[in-house]
Amino acid sequence: MFLKPVCLLTAVTSVLILSACNDNNQLPAPLSEGLVYCSEGNPESFNPQLGTSGTTVDATSAQLYDRLIDYDAEQQQFIPALATQWQAFDQGTRYRFKLRQQVAFHQTAWFQPSRPFNADDVLFSFNRWLNEQHPYHDVGGGRYPFFRSSGLMRLIKRVERVDDHTVDFWLNQADSSFLANLATDFNVILAAEYGAQLLAQGTPSDIDRLPIGTGPFVFDEFRKDFVIRYRNHPDYWRSQPHITQLVYVITPNANKRMLKLLTGECDVIPYPLIDELAQLDTQAEIEVASAVNPSLSFWAFNTKRPPFDNPLVRQALAHAINRPAIIQNIYGGKARLASGMLPETSWAYSAEPQAYPYDPAKAIELLQQAGYPNGFSMNIWAMPVQRAYNPNAQRMSELMQADLARIGVQADIISYEWNTFRQRLARGEHDSVLIGWVADNADPDNFFRPILSCAATRSGNNRTQWCDPEFDQLLVEAITETEPQQRKQLYQQIENYVMQQAPLVPIANSLRFQAHRADIQGVELPPYGGLSFRKARRLTDAPL
Amino acid sequence: MLRYSLRRLILFIITLWLLSLFVFALNYWFPGDPLTNMTGIRDQSSYAYQQAVDARGFDSGILQQYVGFIDHLLAGQWGNSLASQTDVFAQLQPLFGATLELGLLAMALALLLGLPLGIYAALQQRGPLDRVIMGLSLSTYSIPVFWLAQLFILLFAVKLGWSPISGQINPLYNIELQSGSILWDIWRSDMPYRPAAFIDALAHLWLPVLVLSLMPMTMLIRIMRNAMLDVLQQNYIKAARARGLADSRILFRHIIPNALQPVVRQLGLQFSVLMTNIIITEVIFNWPGLGSWLVKSIYERDYPVMQAGILVLASLILLVNVLVELLHAWRYPQVRKEQHAEH
Repeated sequence: MFLKPVCLLTAVTSVLILSACNDNNQLPAPLSEGLVYCSEGNPESFNPQLGTSGTTVDATSAQLYDRLIDYDAEQQQFIPALATQWQAFDQGTRYRFKLRQQVAFHQTAWFQPSRPFNADDVLFSFNRWLNEQHPYHDVGGGRYPFFRSSGLMRLIKRVERVDDHTVDFWLNQADSSFLANLATDFNVILAAEYGAQLLAQGTPSDIDRLPIGTGPFVFDEFRKDFVIRYRNHPDYWRSQPHITQLVYVITPNANKRMLKLLTGECDVIPYPLIDELAQLDTQAEIEVASAVNPSLSFWAFNTKRPPFDNPLVRQALAHAINRPAIIQNIYGGKARLASGMLPETSWAYSAEPQAYPYDPAKAIELLQQAGYPNGFSMNIWAMPVQRAYNPNAQRMSELMQADLARIGVQADIISYEWNTFRQRLARGEHDSVLIGWVADNADPDNFFRPILSCAATRSGNNRTQWCDPEFDQLLVEAITETEPQQRKQLYQQIENYVMQQAPLVPIANSLRFQAHRADIQGVELPPYGGLSFRKARRLTDAPL
Repeated sequence: MLRYSLRRLILFIITLWLLSLFVFALNYWFPGDPLTNMTGIRDQSSYAYQQAVDARGFDSGILQQYVGFIDHLLAGQWGNSLASQTDVFAQLQPLFGATLELGLLAMALALLLGLPLGIYAALQQRGPLDRVIMGLSLSTYSIPVFWLAQLFILLFAVKLGWSPISGQINPLYNIELQSGSILWDIWRSDMPYRPAAFIDALAHLWLPVLVLSLMPMTMLIRIMRNAMLDVLQQNYIKAARARGLADSRILFRHIIPNALQPVVRQLGLQFSVLMTNIIITEVIFNWPGLGSWLVKSIYERDYPVMQAGILVLASLILLVNVLVELLHAWRYPQVRKEQHAEH
C-alpha cells in the first residue's frame, strides 16, 4: 500500500529531472525531424475547392496538393507546376496546357494509385465544380464559393483532353484574370482514380475527408480540435521536403499560441498578438516574419435587412466609427487606415481622401434624415479567430459598440465557433459583421468580385448580401478592358460607387505576421495565398 | 446486503431512465428540427433523413419516438456530429479513455496524498504542522480550478519549464489512437521511441492531474482529519490504550479503519466535484477528453454531441456514486443496519 505513493513520487520527480535536463541535441528522431505548427482553427474540409477560409487553405493547399501553375510574387510571373508550358490561342479564349509527366499521387492505407498524374485528373478536378452533372458536384455541398464568386465558373466553357498530357481550356470570353485565378490556392488537382474508387465503394464524401493529392505532404490523420498529422511524400516530383512529419496543433487561443511558442511546444505560429510583437522580436530564440499579404478588413452590413437596406443608415454608421482609434488600438499602428477597397500595394490603387471621416454629429444628422432620430438596436458579429486582416475582432467590436452608443445605436456583439460562424453568415443571419478579405491573386478584380458581386451573393460569400446590377456592370467593363490605364480609371469609378453606396465600411489594410522558433527555416509565407512547409527545415547543431 | 444492493440498483436504473427522458426532451427544446438534433442529418429532403424518420418512429407519436430513441441509444447509434458529420459514438470512445485516465489519476493522487495528510494533521492536532496543513487546504479549496490551472501553467510551464503548457503528448510522437488513454496507448504501441514517449506523456500529464486533484484532496484532508478526531475520542480507543496496546497498533488496527468510514461515504461526492472540474481543466490543458468535447460542442451548437457528452458524464457520475455506496454498505455493515434495520 505504501509502495504506490513512493513510486508515483519517484516517477514525478524523475520526469521533472529528465524534462529539466533534456538537451536539444539528444532529441529523439521524430522530434528533430518533425515540425509543429500551431494553427488557429479547424479546417472546414481537406479540399480548398469547397471553401474560402484561410485556415483551410493554410492547412491543405500547399501541403497536400499542387496546381497547374504557380505565381511567383517576387518575379511577378507565373511559373510551371503541374503544367510545364501553356499558351493562349484564339484571341485568349483557348488555353493549351502541357502537363508534367511522372508525377506521383500519394500512397495511403485508403488509396494505392496505379498510374501517375495525367489529363484525366485535370478534367476530374475542374469538372467537379464546373459541370453540375458531375457525380462529385454535389458531394460536400456543391457550393464552390471561390469559383462562383471569382467568375471562373462562368468563364470556363469546358475543359478538353487533347492527349494524355495535354489539356485545352475553352473560355467564354477573353479574361485578363484567368491565369491569375488559375494560380490561386483553390485550383488544386485531385486524383480521378481515387474519385472512381470511392464512387465504387459508395463513399464519395471521403474524397474531402481522406484527401489524396500530389503535394509534398501526405495526409495521415485529423482529430478535430486537436491535431492534423502529415508525413512527407517520398515520391514528390519537386525536391523532397526536409521534414518527415508535419503536425498542425489546433490552438485557437492567441495567448496560448504565444506561450507555446515561447516554451517550444510550437515551432511556428500564425497571427501572433500584435501588442507582443515587439517583445517577441527581442527574444533570441524567436523570429517574427511578416508578409505584405494584400488584405482588407471591413465592416459589412446585411443590406437585405432593414434598416441596412437604406444607404443613409449605412453612411451614418460609417461616420460613427472612430477608425483611426481602431488602427491604434487593435493593430497597434501596424496597419494602414483603408480609404477604399483596394490596398495601397495594388497597381490599380489611387489615393483618395477618406470618404467617411469620424464625425458623430454628421452620423446623427444622417440617421435623422433616414428616419431614425432615436437610433435603433443591431448586432455586430465578431469573428472568434484572428486573421491577417483583423487580429482581434472581438475587441474591435467592443470599441465600435461604444462609438455606436454615442449616436444612439445599441449594438450587441455575437460570436460563434469559426466554422459555425461562417455557415450562419452564408445564411445571412447577421445584421453586420466584422470580417475581411485576403487577396488570392494580384488582379484588382479580386478585391471586388468575390466580395460584393451578385455572384458572390448567390454563393453565400457576399457578407453584405448586396446585389447591384450597376456595380456588376462596371465590374464586367473593367475585367474585359485590357489597357491598364483605362482599367485603373474604371476601378476608380467602382471604388467611388462602392463608397457612395457603403454596403461595407473598409477599416484597415494590414500585414500578415507569423512567428517561429529561430531554429526553423524556410516556412514560406507568400503574399497571395496560404503558407507552405515544402522548404521548411529545422537547423541542428550537428550535421545529420 | 442483497436487499440493499437491489434497492440501490433500482434507484440507479430509475435515475438513468430520468436522465434519458431529459436528454430525449432536449432534442425538442433545442432550436431546430428535433430529428436533426438527434441524428445530425441536416438535409431534410435527403434519403438518409427519410430513413431516420422511419427508424426512429418520427411518423408516429411521441411515445414511439422515445422508444426509437432508446433503441438507437442502446445500439450505439448516437447520430452524427452536426459540425464534423462523423459518428458521435465512434468519436466518444477515445475521448472517454482520455477523460477517465485524467480523472482516475487525479482521484488516486488525491487519495494517496489527502488521506495521510489528514491522518497526520489529526495526530498533530493544534500543532504547528496541523495548522499549516489545514490553512493550506482551506486556501487551496477556495481557489477556483480555472484560476489555479492558469497560475500553475504560468509557474510550472512558462517560468520554470518543468512541464509543457497543454496537450497529451508532443504531437510529433505518432501514437496510434486506441483507448484514448495516452499511457495505455504508448504501452500498447510498437513504435521505437516508447520510453521517450512515455516520459514525454508523463511530463504532460502531471500538471493537469495535480490541478484536478487539489480540490478533492483538500476536502479529503479535512474529512479524514475530522473523522480521526471523532474516533480518537471513542471509548474503545481509550480501552485499547488502557489495555496497553502499542500506539501504532491502535492507529492502524482501530483508528484508521473506523475513521475511513465517513471518508468512503464522501468519495462519490468528491468524484462528482472532480468530474465537474475536469471539464474546465480539459479545456485549459487542451486535453482531448469528454469535457473539452462538450464545451466545444456548446460553442458550435452541435446538439448530438452535446447530448452524448451530457449523457456519458452524468451516467459516469451516477455509476461511480452507486458503486461507492455499495462499497460503503458492504464494507461497513452497520450502515445498512442503520438505514434498513437489517439483521
